[in-house]
Amino acid sequence: MINENTMELLLSSFPKILEYGLKVTLPLAAIAFILSTVLAVIVAMIQYAKVPILKQICRFYIWIIRGTPLLVQLMVAFYGLPLFGISINPFLMAVIVFTINEGAYSAETMRAAMEAVPAGQMEAGYCVGMGYMQIIWHVILPQAFRTAFPSLFNALISMVKDTSLASSITVVEMFTRTKQIAGQSYNYLPLYIEVAVVYLLFCTILTYLQKRGENFLGSYGVRK
Amino acid sequence: MGLLEVTNVHKSFGDTQVLKGINLKVDKGQVVSVLGPSGSGKTTLLRCINFLETADEGYLNFDGNSYHLPKASKKNIADIRKETGFVFQNYNLFANKTVLKNVTLGLTSARKIPAKEAEKKAYDTLKKVGMLEHMDKYPSQLSGGQQQRVAIARALATDPKILYFDEPTSALDPQLTAEVLDVMRDLAKDGMTMIVVTHEMSFAREVSSHIVFMADGVIVEEGTPTEFFENPKNSITRDFLRLTSVE
Repeated sequence: MINENTMELLLSSFPKILEYGLKVTLPLAAIAFILSTVLAVIVAMIQYAKVPILKQICRFYIWIIRGTPLLVQLMVAFYGLPLFGISINPFLMAVIVFTINEGAYSAETMRAAMEAVPAGQMEAGYCVGMGYMQIIWHVILPQAFRTAFPSLFNALISMVKDTSLASSITVVEMFTRTKQIAGQSYNYLPLYIEVAVVYLLFCTILTYLQKRGENFLGSYGVRK
Repeated sequence: MGLLEVTNVHKSFGDTQVLKGINLKVDKGQVVSVLGPSGSGKTTLLRCINFLETADEGYLNFDGNSYHLPKASKKNIADIRKETGFVFQNYNLFANKTVLKNVTLGLTSARKIPAKEAEKKAYDTLKKVGMLEHMDKYPSQLSGGQQQRVAIARALATDPKILYFDEPTSALDPQLTAEVLDVMRDLAKDGMTMIVVTHEMSFAREVSSHIVFMADGVIVEEGTPTEFFENPKNSITRDFLRLTSVE
């Protein structure tokens, strides 16, 4: 059972763990998610529009990223970039790797969502005189984004937890901070359960935000 | 005066020849109905005229300019489409836009007309089709007939020189069909130039100035409604009319 010392440790460590959650874990996930969504939309549009050469490059990018582990990608960036004289701080590097990683997955989500918009929507746009990019912007992307939103948010929730891998490239995020505290106290299990609860808390809030987001985006009058 | 004329239109999908040399002329103010059995190429013809399909061969003369159908430039196609309106069998309203936005989008985005002015125009055309009171609804909240009337308003709002209708009532029950046909009848009365691909025989007979009958990728017979319905010359036409007419 939980003795007094453990209780005290849990209470005293909670603000420290939460601090790194709010200061590192959430910003890392949020920034990388936003950037990866922008990247995903661009990659999806290139494929949707079947732009020659660029399309092949996109397929290659998705193939590489989806076919290798995130942890390996982090390591390759960490040891590889300095060889090219690029030295950036680990947090920024984590943002870049997470963006590129998540971008590949979300690009496929967006592409599928764009392709799910009926062809008639494009034709109707042409027939009222609109150009290709105008139709993409006003008609296809909004509908695709609504379809992709739950999947994209799913990816965000995954990413919040995957940020713990950033510890491998010396980013001190929530999990690393927990390990440090645990190491000092030699009392591992309670602290790991505690950090699990904090992750769970974050993801619960995100799930709530997803629901709000879906309501905000609306469903274009479709009854749910 | 010929507003639109297509000559020698050919189109194949793979090995299937769908259009085998179609010639069609439409004068200003005319309502031309294109009739014929399913698979005869009526819809493909209409889609080729508006470049939704690229014809393999043929010329389009529209409003005094001539275009080689397979080779028309993007710019030409865009310019032609700005002068034409298209009404689809399954409406194709923009699912993410309200009724009002469906009508204004072609004006504000494609023609850079200020929003206020576009809305004024939309009120006019929505009123004409009896859908003004539904302008804040989304397409999914409307019946098929209502959606099709909005689609007509959307096409009308751009002040087209000609309207194309691709089986506009095929997805509707008789009652909803009637409300859409009423709108089209009004347009014909107003002198709108239209090409209507349809299976509505009584509508074609009553409203058209010219009937074109297609079968198997060619125009088998054409003429005024009276000639066509009362004295069909071709045996295919006679068989078709026997099967479809209720009278």
